[in-house]
Amino acid sequence: MSEALIVCENLTHIYDGEVVAVQDINLTIQKGELIGVIGQNGSGKTTLVKHFNGLLKPTKGKVFVNGNDTAGMRIQELAKSVGYVFQNPNHQLFAKTVREELEFGPTNLGVPEDEVKERVNKAFKFFNLEKYRESHPYRISFPLRKLVGMASIYTMRPDVFILDEPTTGQDHITTRIVYQLIERLRNEGATVICVAHDMILLAEVVERMIVMRDSQIIADTDPRTVFSDKDLMASTHLTPPQITELSYRMRDNKQIKNLALSINGLLEETSKNFNLKRSK
Amino acid sequence: MRGAVIPITMVPGDSPLHKIAPLPKLAWSFGVLIIAFMTRNPAILGTIILAGLLLTTIAQIWKPMLRVMIVLFPVFVISIFLQSIAPAFPKPWNPIVGFGPFTIYQEGIYSGITMFGRAFGMTLFAMVTIMTTHPSDLFASLEKIGMPYVLNFILTVTLQLIPILQREFGTVLSAQKSRGMKGTGFGAVLPSMVPVFVGAIERVQQLSISLESRAFGSTGNKTSYRNVVMRPSDYIILVSGLLATFATGYWILVDKSLDWSRSMTFSPTLSISLVVSAGLIFTSFVTIAIFKIIKT
Ligand SMILES: Nc1ncnc2c1ncn2[C@@H]1O[C@H](COP(=O)(O)OP(=O)(O)OP(=O)(O)O)[C@@H](O)[C@H]1O
Ligand SMILES: [Mg+2]
Repeated sequence: MSEALIVCENLTHIYDGEVVAVQDINLTIQKGELIGVIGQNGSGKTTLVKHFNGLLKPTKGKVFVNGNDTAGMRIQELAKSVGYVFQNPNHQLFAKTVREELEFGPTNLGVPEDEVKERVNKAFKFFNLEKYRESHPYRISFPLRKLVGMASIYTMRPDVFILDEPTTGQDHITTRIVYQLIERLRNEGATVICVAHDMILLAEVVERMIVMRDSQIIADTDPRTVFSDKDLMASTHLTPPQITELSYRMRDNKQIKNLALSINGLLEETSKNFNLKRSK
Repeated sequence: MRGAVIPITMVPGDSPLHKIAPLPKLAWSFGVLIIAFMTRNPAILGTIILAGLLLTTIAQIWKPMLRVMIVLFPVFVISIFLQSIAPAFPKPWNPIVGFGPFTIYQEGIYSGITMFGRAFGMTLFAMVTIMTTHPSDLFASLEKIGMPYVLNFILTVTLQLIPILQREFGTVLSAQKSRGMKGTGFGAVLPSMVPVFVGAIERVQQLSISLESRAFGSTGNKTSYRNVVMRPSDYIILVSGLLATFATGYWILVDKSLDWSRSMTFSPTLSISLVVSAGLIFTSFVTIAIFKIIKT
């Protein structure tokens, strides 16, 4: 039995009375879902997800979080249930040490001191940041800073994590780490909404993909269906992962039956085919 | 979500003032600046303010002007408050009324009003100039009259940085709110300053690298993309501005009867209401400003 966590009803947002950034969006996000939001620059991804924690209020339509209309709620109230990790960690971090940074959120929520400590310790383990406990947030490298940004939200234990481009500007290793963390977050029961440009790894992680173009949602389904739809992909000007490109061709050449999204998937597909041929 | 951005920049339009070349407008603004500092005469300062308001009407820039003045006016007004109890004026001071440790002085009120008049008049002219002139034209003209290129450039960049920092401050503040920051008092706003300043410093560092890689420090004459042409009417306005400044300046130096600091007297009631309303305007402005910054 799933329950709706975030519901958008005919959500429209217009900046300064002229720029229509999202238009007439209807969307329901269930508890425990792992969702990717993709779309080219300026398609309205950030604007959409900023409505989920009240950073933006709808110009028209409504947004409900846990059944409550966000229109009358303050960001600070919503912060309890919705955690928003900013695209640029520099906008978020200000404390003298990483530890204080992680304590800031739960302290604001009025969590008792010893529980704050416990949460912070757990976060250091979860994000593997123990070495940097007493480091200054601005002294550590940018990818690590991004992890600190995520950890500072993690200690608040929100129901939903919103990650705006957690992998943009990251090296490959950190990107991998980020996606592993996302999966683990989900395994702990959290709902994760991840905005991203690079779909290469996202495709392997998420189960539901929301594709945006020109301030509207043009597709909302599983990644496999999204990537199989060549016209859809072309219309967003986004390039699918190379492994998907390869499997398009292999499918067209009748070398495999189904489209594969990952290296492992393709391996599986090809070996099926191989077995098929051998058994003949 | 974004804080109100103060529009200290050009307001597009095609009023007669927009068509005047930058140099004559600069000359008038500087003339007003000089005169305002030469005199404390309320009539002259009042005339300057009236002229400034008239120009604002001609240029059709009332709306942006109001948005700037909403911020600056309370700051000017506070001079009446501060001056009345501690005049920047040669002693002896003549007390008007006193309550407790505070005494309101005749010279204080006079000095406060004139300081207010100076600041208000000067800013009006400066704002009319800025709002009716394309920044590039303004800087190109400044360079023509000998302003060093580097100084010019620093000014331009600084002006550009203000709205960027204002926006950045809004983002940072919303990031803190997303982490449940209790938004009360100055202590809450302070943490947000750290990321804004770090961001500003990083931005400037990057800018300097990118400038150097495009031969910023090279010597020789710089050319400007926009060419400023001075028409005969512009020369007339320029020269008349210079003449008006000299004539008024001369009059102020010669005519000692323009000093009204003793002859212009204020009744206790008027003084108190002036000082109190100045204080009220300022405090309510500060309160509203803090509230606006913190409000979700
Ligand atoms: N604060 C703002 N004021 C005015 N317009 C804005 C503002 N923020 C975004 N926009 C405009 O709204 C549209 C959608 O922007 P948004 O940031 O939501 O897109 P995005 O999909 O997140 O893009 P990106 O991939 O570059 O992050 C764009 O046209 C953008 O220029
Ligand atoms: Mg974005």
